Amino acid sequence: MELAAEQKVPIRLSTRDPSIQIAEETGVLLVQTSLNRLKLSALVNDLLHKDERRIPFDILINGKFLRATIDEFLTQNGISPETTLDVEYTRALVPPLNVRSFEHDDWVSAVDVLSQSSAAGVWSGAVQSGQERILSASYDGLLRVWDMSENVLATSQPPNNGGRITSLKTAKWIWDKKIVAAGLDSTVRVFKYDDDTRTITQALELYNHRWGVEDIAVHGPSNRILSASSDTTISLFSANAKDNPAAPSNLLPNSTAASNKRLKTSRSERTVPARGALTTLTGHSSPVSSVIFKPDDATVAYSTSHDHTLRTWDLPTSTCVDTRTTGHSLLSLAAMPKLNLLATGTSARHITLIDPRASATQIAVMTLRGHKNAVVSLDVDPSTEYNLLSGSHDGTAQIWDVRNVRPSTVVGEGQAGESVYTIFRQGAPHSHGHGEGLKVFSVRWDSEVGILSAGEDKRVQINRAIGA
Amino acid sequence: NIDPESLLPKLPNPDDLKPFPTTCAAIFRGQQGRVRSVSIDPHGVFLASGGDDGFVRIWELLTGREVWQARLSDEDAVDTVKWRPDTECSILAAAAGETIYLVVPFTILSPDMEQHSRDVLDAGWGYAASKPSSTTNGAIKEPPGKWSRPGSSLEHKGVLVQVTVRSMVKVINWHRKGDYFATVSPRGQSTAVAIHTLSKHLTQLPFRRLKGIAQTAQFHPSKAIFFVATRNTIRSYDLAKQELVKILQPGAKWISSIDVHPGGDNIIVGTYDKRLLWHDLDLSTKPYKTLRFHQEAIRAVRFHQGGLPLFADASDDGSLQIFHGKVVGDLMENATIVPLKVLRGHKVKSRLGAMDVEWHPREPWCVSAGADGTCRLWN
Ligand SMILES: [Mg+2]
Repeated sequence: MELAAEQKVPIRLSTRDPSIQIAEETGVLLVQTSLNRLKLSALVNDLLHKDERRIPFDILINGKFLRATIDEFLTQNGISPETTLDVEYTRALVPPLNVRSFEHDDWVSAVDVLSQSSAAGVWSGAVQSGQERILSASYDGLLRVWDMSENVLATSQPPNNGGRITSLKTAKWIWDKKIVAAGLDSTVRVFKYDDDTRTITQALELYNHRWGVEDIAVHGPSNRILSASSDTTISLFSANAKDNPAAPSNLLPNSTAASNKRLKTSRSERTVPARGALTTLTGHSSPVSSVIFKPDDATVAYSTSHDHTLRTWDLPTSTCVDTRTTGHSLLSLAAMPKLNLLATGTSARHITLIDPRASATQIAVMTLRGHKNAVVSLDVDPSTEYNLLSGSHDGTAQIWDVRNVRPSTVVGEGQAGESVYTIFRQGAPHSHGHGEGLKVFSVRWDSEVGILSAGEDKRVQINRAIGA
Repeated sequence: NIDPESLLPKLPNPDDLKPFPTTCAAIFRGQQGRVRSVSIDPHGVFLASGGDDGFVRIWELLTGREVWQARLSDEDAVDTVKWRPDTECSILAAAAGETIYLVVPFTILSPDMEQHSRDVLDAGWGYAASKPSSTTNGAIKEPPGKWSRPGSSLEHKGVLVQVTVRSMVKVINWHRKGDYFATVSPRGQSTAVAIHTLSKHLTQLPFRRLKGIAQTAQFHPSKAIFFVATRNTIRSYDLAKQELVKILQPGAKWISSIDVHPGGDNIIVGTYDKRLLWHDLDLSTKPYKTLRFHQEAIRAVRFHQGGLPLFADASDDGSLQIFHGKVVGDLMENATIVPLKVLRGHKVKSRLGAMDVEWHPREPWCVSAGADGTCRLWN
């Protein structure tokens, strides 16, 4: 035993993060195999000459997280201690502790961020640091724009839709002055946002769906909007009214006698232009839960559906070019472009990572388990390609590192992973599976603002790592 | 020496029979008093519930959010709710007291979906008015069902048609094509079982003389056959030939609920005497299997209708029992029945527990109605 503890192994240290490179060339170091993650993290800090403000590091050996000692790692992976190990260090995910909370009157179904680094911020190029804006959509039918001091800057007006439900399910910034939102009344609405006058004004109504809209995706440079509906279709719209064809008349609130009567008895006059869709994507056989543009190519879209499939769409031809069938209802979707992976959240409480490229043969590359209820929202860490954020009806948001995995014991699951951090709702430090009163409906991860989550507790919660 | 146990066929391991519901995914709260009935819309997106507070409510299935409600009665409970099986429109039937209500919940529908649904309900108005029924001596006979408009306050909510029968309605079941629905009023004697034709606003009483007290009735999933259960007997009738086909004797003291397998050749029977019985119509008039898993009465039994080999019951002990029930087309091979999971969560109130259970149209998910005032989604 004494001998084993003294055993040494050659390692070569590296990192992909330029801000934490070790200045001097370390070459191959000989370290004790009894070292664990904490001791290796301390070693890296010493080499960085960090006497104060030491950085907690995670350690990866040959691309796998070190969980115990190097010795155990070598045994588990059948590696000889004579081999030189490639040891990568990376900033450990710091538990996000600083919490802020934006209080609403009703359930919050969606949250989005406008910041310098957010997609809409990059597209508009006009967002200054410190001028971040939060957009929230609620079951009360209203959109709200907030500043970072938890003040509501602007609230939308309820739509005049002929006495229908107005509950919103999704909302996104297109750029700093334009917002798109949709929900249970099947209508996609584009709004102008004016930060000076603090107003959200409806600019355009888009009709193509026969059931509620669950999700929308935006591509600012091309003004394109995709909407995913419970009617099993996806619509492609332009955010510019004149680009779209006329609205299908049978879907307008004034199209039927009963609805028109209700429309006229409600107060406001219709002045907003109404348009139809550029194209309708059909193929899913059950409600479509989520849709995204391919991050580097807005002529391609991905969608997930309750019909268990993830589909790839070629937008110029409006055709489905690939269908991946899984075992469960799929409820959420995010792209991890650098890894060529799509993450999808299921009704069966897990996240499945799928390689959408035609060459991929496996159904699931990886399965992430730990939620106790449906995974209904996903986003990626803007600072690394490996981290994923998920929101679940179990009342938690969880952070995942896709390197934190081991081979699954279940056939067809690929690698299996666990979350590295769980964010509970403020004031509710536990989670029942059914998440009653605490269900999370929407999550966003922003470099400047932090981790946002919105839900049944009528709040947008922002968690931010201390010191980050 | 042969161990007799070794000759028994081995039941499959429940782990190999996934997927089936194991956990509570949502609680639907807001009703006052017992929830008596639940139904999932044909799209699998909305849940309807009815109960002692006289309200019908519609909820988003996955989130548990209430999206529509109407109070049908100030005095009577809503005993049953059932969505019409048609994805081109959205119509919900519900019964409170002696009245069946037909609802188009337009606040959650697009205008064209609302219009399609209204058209289906409105088609029969002219027909009903032009056909007054009369007896042989010329006197105007009171029709078995009176079709009318429920009045402006309910109509403003989308409750567009009401059908009033002679005694309290406890069961509604639709024919698969959505033009007929059957209702059962156990205290109605000769008017206990009614078949209603939606397109003609017509109510007919197919059984003038019914032996025993009717409990429930259901259409065969594909043939013109109709099942009627009294307290201890199930009879099947050929609707085209108007004749009795078969009498099943489950040996039960008091049947609460039956359900016909989507294949049409097997029936499950729930009883107030705590037993669940499986009848194979090809085998015998006696049950093929008797299942005793509950401490209290079974109130509801239900087969999955969307192609999964699952069935469930709901009991006054507050639990649901989930079973695998695989029916093979081969006449020589009997159904495989495996108990899979007990779902607990509903609190027992005044000796009543889980009052109804219904499957999702596609997924291995079910919904229960509780005497504790909640509905629950299990997946
Ligand atoms: Mg058979």
